[in-house]
Amino acid sequence: MAKVDMRKLGVVFRREYLERVRSKWFLIGTLLGPVFFGTITIAPTWISMSQGPSKDLTNIRILDASGTGLGARVQRSIAKSFPKGVPPRVTVVAPEALIKADSAAVVEVVDKTINGFIVLDSNTIAGKYARYVGRNANSLSDVQSLMTNVRQQVLAQRLEKEGLNPDRVTALTGEKLETKTEKIGNKGRETGSGVGNLAFGYIVAFLLYFMIVLYGQQILRGVMDEKTTRVAEVVVSSVSTDTLLAGKVLGVGLVAITQVLSWVVLTIGMLIYIAPILFGNMTPVAGAAIASSRGLPSDTVLNALPTLGTAVMILAYFVVGFIFYASLFAAVGAMISSQEDVQQAAMPVMLMLVFSVIFMAPILTKPDSPLARVMTLLPFSAPILMPLRMSLVSVPWYELAISLGGVMLACVAAIWVSARIYRVGLLMYGKRPSFSELARWVRYAG
Amino acid sequence: MSDLAIDIRNVVKRYAEHLAVRDLSLAVPRGAVYGLLGPNGAGKTTTIRMILNIIIPDSGTISLLGQPHMSAGITDRIGYLPEERGLYKKMQVRRVLKFLAELKGVDGSVAEKRIDEWLERFDLKTADKDWGLSKIDELSRGMQQKVQFIGTLLHDPDLIILDEPFSGLDPINAQALKDTVVELKARGKTVIFSTHLMDNAERLCDSVCIIAHGEKVLDGAVSDVKTEHGTRVVALSVAGDSRSAISHILSDRSLVARADDQNRYYEIELAPGADAQVLLRRVVETGALIQRFELVQPSLHQIFLAKVGATGVEEGMSGQG
Repeated sequence: MAKVDMRKLGVVFRREYLERVRSKWFLIGTLLGPVFFGTITIAPTWISMSQGPSKDLTNIRILDASGTGLGARVQRSIAKSFPKGVPPRVTVVAPEALIKADSAAVVEVVDKTINGFIVLDSNTIAGKYARYVGRNANSLSDVQSLMTNVRQQVLAQRLEKEGLNPDRVTALTGEKLETKTEKIGNKGRETGSGVGNLAFGYIVAFLLYFMIVLYGQQILRGVMDEKTTRVAEVVVSSVSTDTLLAGKVLGVGLVAITQVLSWVVLTIGMLIYIAPILFGNMTPVAGAAIASSRGLPSDTVLNALPTLGTAVMILAYFVVGFIFYASLFAAVGAMISSQEDVQQAAMPVMLMLVFSVIFMAPILTKPDSPLARVMTLLPFSAPILMPLRMSLVSVPWYELAISLGGVMLACVAAIWVSARIYRVGLLMYGKRPSFSELARWVRYAG
Repeated sequence: MSDLAIDIRNVVKRYAEHLAVRDLSLAVPRGAVYGLLGPNGAGKTTTIRMILNIIIPDSGTISLLGQPHMSAGITDRIGYLPEERGLYKKMQVRRVLKFLAELKGVDGSVAEKRIDEWLERFDLKTADKDWGLSKIDELSRGMQQKVQFIGTLLHDPDLIILDEPFSGLDPINAQALKDTVVELKARGKTVIFSTHLMDNAERLCDSVCIIAHGEKVLDGAVSDVKTEHGTRVVALSVAGDSRSAISHILSDRSLVARADDQNRYYEIELAPGADAQVLLRRVVETGALIQRFELVQPSLHQIFLAKVGATGVEEGMSGQG
């Protein structure tokens, strides 16, 4: 029954769109969205700015069993890196007394007299390892900044041993080197800093997930309401269920797009007008936004923006991904007759979405791993994960083609099955159908 | 052009567990008020849904207004009031009505004008209150029924199908519905409605079809159906204290097949071969004070009971449409 009447499709589409956009929840969501996104962007920067350096890093002990005075060097270096904290204390021990000193320091950590301790010994001098023991041993960034200091001092000591002037060594090794990354694509250097892409990809994937869940559920509820209020019967006597389903999915989909666009516009507006009030021009993001608002070229802001091609691909993934999930949600809505059944009946669809999101972190760290490749090819996770991966690395065109083609095929299959379940389920009341009953619906719906 | 509004031929619809409609053929003439009668669960709603192309028959053909029922645009000429009624609760009355009209292909501006006329006609838009601007769920149940009824007729359909239209209607709305049906007929429209309430059918319908268990039991013009079933029914009324005196006559199965106590009178169906005059004589012999003795045409209700059987009705009463 693939009969879609375009004029009636327009009528259904308009109702779905206008009734939702007119509702006060849409207005509230549209206004609160940027506050939420602005807060999660600005708050961490603001918090880290108002706090000093991590307190955990300063109140520590250095057990120096190297016998070379490395401990004192590291102490000066750390004290210089974190001028506000309590400088580390150094205990010089003989190598054979290290075990005893170690246990004493552990007691201090347990007593909370110190936060942790670094052990420097012959292995450290040899360039093999230094040990850190402490309450914050799981904090990657804390341990990393401590070890950067140790590494620098080991190097400086070696250079001095080779006869270099100590001042010269400090000047040479004291560089605070920061990482600036650039992405290379097939066409050479691409605009966009690595970090900017990372944030962008993450936000896009999160938004895709969020919008699919939010508006997919709206479709589910819309279908269920039509069914429980029995208005469905009047409507399907005027318009085929296929047209109704299509109009619903497209109408609600456009609501989602409208919402995201208003969020983008409002968030940018907020960053330009509110962030300067909070920070002056100190944070990179807000600073860049100010710069761009003054018509100055700003690398960060421009770099974080996607190229036209990427934007089109993201939109394409949203459209097919949304249609895929929305038609499944619609089928679920048509299966159930009461509010209590929503959670359970929607579970299989929600699982696919949650399963996709679980893989965001692994793909973020290793965007070219086999796992990332597979997850961005699978039709149910591709709509969320491929845009993420695309923002991180340049994905070969054939992978993009297979992935997008796969989602499209899955989309057609989902529409086919859902339209049938929808057609039968919409006028069936009573208990939720079992899987075998569902299969029969699909088979018999003409 | 066919002079039939609905022409159903040999339609069969089977569900997994049971046969809902078996080999049903129906002919509804244009301009008629047609009653589809039967106990709940007889297949009325299934038949109506097949006419509306909501569900597809397993076999058989359906023609509407001279065209196959699946032809494009045919549903735009039909107005349908389902048994289970409901509208978008959170939507404004005017917007719901406009949506329903536009789904039937009515132009938005035309719909607006008609909505005003109908709202005024059903007292939903008066000088001091325009319910058209309220949301559906702010309306009383009676008002919602009116809105639903407007929605059925807004696109000026040629064929109006009402599924159990009187169920749940308050007396005022029921009267408004009857008036509207009569008016629609006067304007040459065809109205078909299903009901299990024989009184309504008897008063309103030109023709009826009785179905039970998915099969047609009888159909035809109401007057023909009645004549066909003869005057085997007697209305008998006696003074209150004489009632016990005639009870033994009423239980004489050689004379009386069934006596239906209507409180003010008995509706008596004569036994096969029995004579009404014999019954009259026997009653006179008891000395009872006769207030009424009349040979009447059987009511549709009587015919229905005779054809479908009392059990069929009782089963149906508790069952689901």
